[in-house]
Amino acid sequence: MMRIVFDEQACVGHGRCYALAPQVFDADDLGHCVVLLTEPPAELEAAARLAVASCPEDALTIEG
Amino acid sequence: MDPGAAVNPDTGEANPYLPEVAANPIPFYERLRDHLPVAMFEGFGRGTWIISRYEDVRWALKHPEIFSSDFVAVDIGQDRPLIPLQIDPPEHAKYRRVIDPTIGPHEVAPLEDELRSVVNEILDGFVGRGTVDAHAEFTVPLPCIVFLSMCGLPLEHLQQLLEFKDNIIRPNTGDPEEDARVRRATGAALYAYFEDAIEQRRGGTGTDLLTRFLTSEVDGRTMSKEEMLDICYLFILGGLDTVTSTLDCSLAHLAQDPVQRALIADDPSIVPAAVEEMLRFHTPVMQILRAVAQPVELHGHQFEVGDTVMLMLGSADTDPSEFGEDASEFDATREVNRHLAFGGGPHRCLGSHLARLELRVALEEWHRRIPDYTVAEGAHLEYSPGIREIVSLPLVFDPVVAEAVE
Ligand code: HEM
Ligand code: SF4
Repeated sequence: MMRIVFDEQACVGHGRCYALAPQVFDADDLGHCVVLLTEPPAELEAAARLAVASCPEDALTIEG
Repeated sequence: MDPGAAVNPDTGEANPYLPEVAANPIPFYERLRDHLPVAMFEGFGRGTWIISRYEDVRWALKHPEIFSSDFVAVDIGQDRPLIPLQIDPPEHAKYRRVIDPTIGPHEVAPLEDELRSVVNEILDGFVGRGTVDAHAEFTVPLPCIVFLSMCGLPLEHLQQLLEFKDNIIRPNTGDPEEDARVRRATGAALYAYFEDAIEQRRGGTGTDLLTRFLTSEVDGRTMSKEEMLDICYLFILGGLDTVTSTLDCSLAHLAQDPVQRALIADDPSIVPAAVEEMLRFHTPVMQILRAVAQPVELHGHQFEVGDTVMLMLGSADTDPSEFGEDASEFDATREVNRHLAFGGGPHRCLGSHLARLELRVALEEWHRRIPDYTVAEGAHLEYSPGIREIVSLPLVFDPVVAEAVE
């Protein structure tokens, strides 16, 4: 199962993650990322992978 | 002229400030990245270094301790550094913590319905005519109306605000000294305008942006009048022309690209991805500036403290090393798109959530009502360098009946 690792220090709030996978990520009031599902279910995996790959700051990575 | 010729590998010089480069920057960007990853631009009365590769630009954005924003490189009539644009971390974060929540993603989302009505009212003004200068009649007023509405300012101030902005960004008197004088005078008028608006709201309970600034706290204290003015100043200079130029580039592009236009008109669900691709492919804010704060080397070039460096966002955004072999092609369905059109690192555009909403709704409504359009015959599209507005954008289409907005 995939596991999302979020580097809070690196996030600056581009908002690509929660735009591309709104069921997996949300925004806090600064527009920074909040991971809703650290281990997304299979049906959300593709969206989660796209979101992770789209972060311009490399704040998101996938383990497993 | 071939825009690529604006890069001269023999002398190490490049000039991004030519109208032919602004109109067609991709060949220019390509030559920069391939031949002069560190180039010299002899403009602005002093030398400015240009960095152009994706990884180099991204690295510079992430290192504000080396590439500082704490300087007043361009005289835009301001009295003090613009907040937060010209403030470095850690001070910078204090301001972002206060301002970001006022235009964060959850904050702007509820504006969508009102924004849609605004867009449709503007469209109603010309859909029946079959011809429009989309720049003057659509892309210029839209972000300004949105801004007035967010600040709770009357719509009648539209012309006034546009005049402020234009006199500051392009006074165009033909004489540099006179330009500087117009900028100063307009800057002073702009400060006075917002000072008035802020004073009127003191003690009020409204939810508009200005009232929220009055009650927001930085470091356990409310902001000073000057701080609020410095933010307002930047919103006017950073939040209007940028949206205008992105819409100019988008409409001009789609008017000349029937295949991608049909994709969008037939399936509005691809508009969000198309907006990202417009931002990437056209990168309307071509470049941003930094000042070197620590000596550093890049590609064998030694930067010294005090050097001015231009981060060429547009060439980063069309770099095949990040975007693949089709980097210089427009693809509205591109999947992974880590463009830097909003910058990156701590200064990542504060208005990006609002900007994305404006761009999406504008393009959705435009294509719902005017799916087919072309550039008027014989029109020459002139792009401004730096921020790629199109001076005049005459479009033609089949007239349609105006619809009353409920
Ligand atoms: C498509 C439209 C827009 C584009 C392409 C754009 C682009 C940019 C870029 C490239 C930066 C980074 C500047 C730097 O690092 O030196 C920036 C910063 C900024 N933008 Fe935008 N912008 C847009 C819309 C807006 C809007 C609508 C607003 C205001 C409501 C806004 C407000 C700001 C502010 C306040 C900053 C400074 C942030 C900081 O220094 O921390 N922008 N923008
Ligand atoms: S895309 Fe990256 S930088 Fe942007 S909000 Fe998500 S994690 Fe943060």
